[in-house]
Amino acid sequence: MMKFKVGLTALAFAAGLASMMPAAAQEKPSSLGLGIFTFTSGPAAAYGMPGKNAADLMIDDFNAKGGIEGVPVKPIYVDEAQGAQGVIAEYRRLAGDPKNQVMVAALSSANCLALAPIAEQLQVPTVGWNCDTHQLLIDGKSKYVFRPNGNTIPEFIAYAIYLLDRKPDVKTVAIINPDYAFGHDGANIFKAALKALKPDIQIVAELYPKMGSPNYQTEISRLATMHPDVVFSNLWGADLENFVRQATPRGLFTSSQVILALGETILQRVPLPDGVIVGVLGDGWWMSPDAKANAETAKFAEDYKARFGEYPVFPSIKMANALIYVKAAYKAAMQKNGGKWPTRTEIADAMKGSTVATLTGTTHTRADNDGLVDQIVGVTVKSADKPFPVIGDMVRYKGDSLMPKADQDPIAWISTLKPEFVKTLPKPGSYK
Amino acid sequence: MSNTVIPLLLDSLASAALIFFAAVGLTLVFSVLRVLNVAHGSLYSIGAYVAASICLFIASRQLSPYLSFVALLFSAVFVAAILGPLIERTLIRWTYGKSEAVQILITFGLFLMLEDLQRMVFGVQSLYEDAPVRLLGTSQIGGVVYLNYQIFLIGMAVLVVIGLRMLIRHTRLGRLITAVVADREMAQSIGIDTNRIFILAFSLGVFLAALGGALAMPTSGVAPGLGADTMVLAFAVAAIGGLGQIEGAAVAALIVGLARVLAIYFVPSLDAVAPYAAMLVVLLIRPYGLFGAVTARRI
Repeated sequence: MMKFKVGLTALAFAAGLASMMPAAAQEKPSSLGLGIFTFTSGPAAAYGMPGKNAADLMIDDFNAKGGIEGVPVKPIYVDEAQGAQGVIAEYRRLAGDPKNQVMVAALSSANCLALAPIAEQLQVPTVGWNCDTHQLLIDGKSKYVFRPNGNTIPEFIAYAIYLLDRKPDVKTVAIINPDYAFGHDGANIFKAALKALKPDIQIVAELYPKMGSPNYQTEISRLATMHPDVVFSNLWGADLENFVRQATPRGLFTSSQVILALGETILQRVPLPDGVIVGVLGDGWWMSPDAKANAETAKFAEDYKARFGEYPVFPSIKMANALIYVKAAYKAAMQKNGGKWPTRTEIADAMKGSTVATLTGTTHTRADNDGLVDQIVGVTVKSADKPFPVIGDMVRYKGDSLMPKADQDPIAWISTLKPEFVKTLPKPGSYK
Repeated sequence: MSNTVIPLLLDSLASAALIFFAAVGLTLVFSVLRVLNVAHGSLYSIGAYVAASICLFIASRQLSPYLSFVALLFSAVFVAAILGPLIERTLIRWTYGKSEAVQILITFGLFLMLEDLQRMVFGVQSLYEDAPVRLLGTSQIGGVVYLNYQIFLIGMAVLVVIGLRMLIRHTRLGRLITAVVADREMAQSIGIDTNRIFILAFSLGVFLAALGGALAMPTSGVAPGLGADTMVLAFAVAAIGGLGQIEGAAVAALIVGLARVLAIYFVPSLDAVAPYAAMLVVLLIRPYGLFGAVTARRI
């Protein structure tokens, strides 16, 4: 009886160990599972659902063309609204099945930070399809976590530079960002960039309303009493929609130059006035000159519109580009290993240092696994052929021009920038 | 100075009006039924969803935008007429006389069901229709542009306080409710149909919750998660005012509104905690709330 128990324990241990080990190169499986993490409920679903919609569309397209390297793709969606503990548990559960070779995780920076050490521990290639926080890959030691869509550093420096080009006489700035890491990181980067590039700018108010707040009337009053030249915000989702709807009739968009870092996501839903500085936190503007010149992107946008009733927004493009990135990694890994189905480690190796053509440009993965993507910023303008405002007077900053080197502290790097730096970069309206 | 004081006062009143609507139904239901309804926030957001849906329908059919004001009131009546009796008769009735823990568990279960139901029916995107705001226009007060709708909300809140006071003090139904609140068993023994009073009082609570959501919708829109946020704030206000005290809820809403606005103006980092800090201070000084009183517990 004792021997039986010992044998059983050994068997269980061996099975457990086997599930922890990276699978050896093998025959093609019947399907390839992709764990896809996004918000499908709660206020953040306004950003997360366009990502899921894009994943549905891209995966259907992959499968219609034979899947990834001949293997049909099977997405398994995880709702990030359940909180970090639930997300971690789901990640571990999915990672335990060798068929789920890659995780596309996640939207929330907090969830990305929570999942990164687990991805390294379990050796699962994990592609942060959003994961904006610059803190994610800051130690430069990650082997399995990748972020092809760039991070908060270039995203928010881009707004400071565009602002100084468009409104060089700016003196006072107010900030209203959501009260969590993304809001505070965004404010710190934007402030650091302004301080370095135009040291006499004063920050006259910093407001951090709770995420999910339905009412911004008091914040709008406070901003109005300060009369700032510029109001900067990286509110997003339903929060951004509410803020814009409440601020527009109260004249905030006419009394101050407003910058909405995630403004593109609401162009089709909320009537934004002309002249608001908006961008796409990367290059994911489906109507950019590069995107328009790409037949695949135009088809994606039209298919998206036909299926979901709206054109894609940049979270959709980020997701689509992340999936293109995963597909490219499989192709590269199989080219390298002689056509065998790759292991998780081989897929991660293929992602390192890769340069992948996306729907809206290219993404180059640096040695620290962070992606270099261009940054598109512009202002809202009326469209001749669309019933909503689009982005005009655009600029496209090169991805590497706004990023510190892999081993540099990003905030310290920003403080080394000089006002002359702005003159070295392309000007608003130059991207057409 | 006046350029800060006037906006500060007006913002406090406008904020208090919205907070009052969130809390008054909760406190009314507690005063009559002695049930702490955790699902109150969901009823608030359902009111907002129904109002948004009707107002969007009016806009899509290009009907008179003034109908949207009627729609706000109608949606609250509609939600109260459907959900009030239904919830009271199927769930709340079973909790009378049970411990607070049982009541909270049952109404929390209801809250979870209603939250999922809203996602199934209304989806996860935010809904919004601001015809009432556009119709009322704006005014410049203290150098700041305000929506006249915000002032309308302050007026509505005052009307509701007066209306509820009139109802309780000067109508037959009010006297019956007062009798039930004072002594449920005695009221039953003199022939008052307490079951009917409970249904009416609970439905009135649902109406006030739904009205709050409906009136907030034109400025705030409605999105998933609204119910949970509202519920927490409503509890804070009800606790400050004294559970079951309608005037207490009005004063508490003013305190919470002022605390929140002062925080946003002068210490923005304390914005989220200001209402609960106010609650803590009040409860430390008066554990039963501003208008609450110590009551003997019958064993």
